[in-house]
Amino acid sequence: MITELEVKDLLRRGGYIADETISTAVFLALRMEKPILIEGPPGVGKTGLAKTLSEVMDFPLVRLQCYEGIDEGKALYDWEYGKQLLYTQLLRTQLDSYLSESADLRAAVERLSAEESLFFSRNFLVQRPILRSFLSEKRSLLLIDEIDRSGDEFEALLLECLSDFQVSVPELGVIPARNRPLAILTSNGTRMISDALRRRCLFLYIGYPEFDREVAIVRARFPELCEGLARQMVEFLRKARELNLRKPPSVSETLDWAQVLSILHTKQLTPEVVANTVGVIAKHQADLQQVNELAAQVMG
Amino acid sequence: MERIITRFVTALRERGIRVSPGESLDAVQALTFGGLSGRDSVKALLRLTLVKNMNDIPAFEEVFDRFFSTGQHGAVGLDATELLTAMIHIVEGERLKDEEYRTREKDDPLLIIDEEVTAEDLENLLAMAESDDDAAGAEIMVQIDGHRGKMDKPSPSDYAMKSPPTVAFSQGVIKPKVVPFTPEELADMQEVVSRMLVRIRKDVQRMKEMESRGKLHVIRTIQKNYRHGMVPFLLALRRKRKEKPRLVVLCDVSYSVSHATRFMLLLLHTLQNRLMHVRSFIFNRELAEITPMLRNMPVNCLLETIDRGEIVNLDDNSDFGNVFVEFKKKHLENLRGKPAFIIMGDARNNYNDANEWALEEMRERAGYMLWLTPEERETWHRGDCLMELYGTYCDRVEVARDVDELSRLVEDLFHTLYDHNDTRAWKGRRPEKKSEEPHDYRSYYTRKGGAAPAFDPTVRRQW
Repeated sequence: MITELEVKDLLRRGGYIADETISTAVFLALRMEKPILIEGPPGVGKTGLAKTLSEVMDFPLVRLQCYEGIDEGKALYDWEYGKQLLYTQLLRTQLDSYLSESADLRAAVERLSAEESLFFSRNFLVQRPILRSFLSEKRSLLLIDEIDRSGDEFEALLLECLSDFQVSVPELGVIPARNRPLAILTSNGTRMISDALRRRCLFLYIGYPEFDREVAIVRARFPELCEGLARQMVEFLRKARELNLRKPPSVSETLDWAQVLSILHTKQLTPEVVANTVGVIAKHQADLQQVNELAAQVMG
Repeated sequence: MERIITRFVTALRERGIRVSPGESLDAVQALTFGGLSGRDSVKALLRLTLVKNMNDIPAFEEVFDRFFSTGQHGAVGLDATELLTAMIHIVEGERLKDEEYRTREKDDPLLIIDEEVTAEDLENLLAMAESDDDAAGAEIMVQIDGHRGKMDKPSPSDYAMKSPPTVAFSQGVIKPKVVPFTPEELADMQEVVSRMLVRIRKDVQRMKEMESRGKLHVIRTIQKNYRHGMVPFLLALRRKRKEKPRLVVLCDVSYSVSHATRFMLLLLHTLQNRLMHVRSFIFNRELAEITPMLRNMPVNCLLETIDRGEIVNLDDNSDFGNVFVEFKKKHLENLRGKPAFIIMGDARNNYNDANEWALEEMRERAGYMLWLTPEERETWHRGDCLMELYGTYCDRVEVARDVDELSRLVEDLFHTLYDHNDTRAWKGRRPEKKSEEPHDYRSYYTRKGGAAPAFDPTVRRQW
């Protein structure tokens, strides 16, 4: 069985620098077979964690993007009406001969209803992401992304799936998971997730990383960037986060910026460099000004 | 180990963090899996399993640091490190040595007695976990919220008295602090809000029903069912509106109106994203948006923060004109749709510029504008009150003196909003709703036939 340190190592090999809490959460989720609910500001690597995990653990990734109005037909399963209809059409002659043997109408109906389960079998069930990940041959990674966008009803729908790893289909009964997936739920916190769902999950809050970890993240992704520049830009962005911007720069912005700077072969940060690339960090017009001012103040 | 976790959970609960028995079991399980390799890892394990809300994390850290601190616990004389080593022994399946038993017995014989009950304790825990309730509807949430304030003030239970670490611990942590709401006050308000929520819920239900109703969109239906050989399995309907109504609330938090504001904040807290999109602002001289805080903070915390003057300076005099201009500049442009505005305040401008043009522009962008003031109509023309001037830009100006009135007014507004968003199809069905109200069936047969329907002002408003 995998240990916590191995999890950390694996993630590092996948280019994801995890801190103790993150690796512990993954380790626990694997051992306890419980879903993880990840909350945190946008762009700190919530979805990234799931993607990296699926790569390094070799779990096929099944992704369910939530949106307002998502329902079980989109998330769990659906009946394939078209196929059902097509089969009845094609099997018409067979059915005719099959039913012609029965004496009267009543017998025919009885005979037909005995075969009813044929038309509501797994054959005609379309597997949507959750069911697909439950029934996959290998243990999979089920990513339920941005759950805060969905409604209360959908959350209630998830309760059964996530606590017992099973799906109830009225026509078929309960379908248990063949391999319990590692489930990861992410939320940006735009809406409170109900306590019932929280209780079924391990709760992991990923905030902005500490200085050293953020530098390590940049270095891991862009090894060509020199250490000094990485430290300088991370320091600058940490200051920018304290500015009370409308959209504070996140880790994803840090990485974007690092990429831009490495393309431009920048050796050192100056107010001019910041002014030229500010669009990567600040995403609102009001923020641009503030970031530029900060640059002049810090480096000028 | 179970005992220590139970105690730790008790401590967390005293601090106001909600921990269910199921979560305590998870924590125990996690510790057996994760082992006790180090303080940080134990902390991470416990935090992952016990804390389910990011606002509770700082409180958890504090409790953890105190509970498992290496310092002395004063008169009790029980060292936390000793507890931790005992914990490790238990986990690893070793029994404590005789002398360790004796020293502990000397300290407190109750501990040993406790030891024997552990299995039973755990069973109790299990039983409690099963009775765990998941149907957390809005009302239940409201009720739970209502008890939250009370939790902050622990009443030492018998068990807490028995276990020395808990006693030492709670004495240390609980500082006397100002509770913005008394528990009774809070419970009262919660009751009003929850009753109101139930009533508003009906309207929301109706809206939902309407969303799945509409005229058939023939072309889209045919397109959609092409692969089914044109047999219309899936219907496509013409729909008018899908959005929830939007609401923007501006609350004066100066001392003169603070009692009404508090209720409003509480109401917003419950409504936030449950029923409609609400954006809430508070102001005194300057304006500040509190929408994200309402979403993520318990309401008492938020009120405390406001009362400390951390969001807007409370020592200033309120300046409505300035606030309207600021709102127009910063926020008016990015309001989607035609939101309804509620402005709460006494319109006492302290002789600053009125800036009613800003209010006029806000009115143009608004679907509906309601002004709530705690002052009687007679006093509006006295002193620095600009109610008469501002009132001309509002659809409605109402006096709200107490909680009941306020809740009635807000409920009224919701009815108006939902009516406003009704499609024409629904309007024809409105009389049906009337019949849901309890009839006096005894008078049913004695009543004269063909009585004229009573005048319904809500219908009138739609014409």
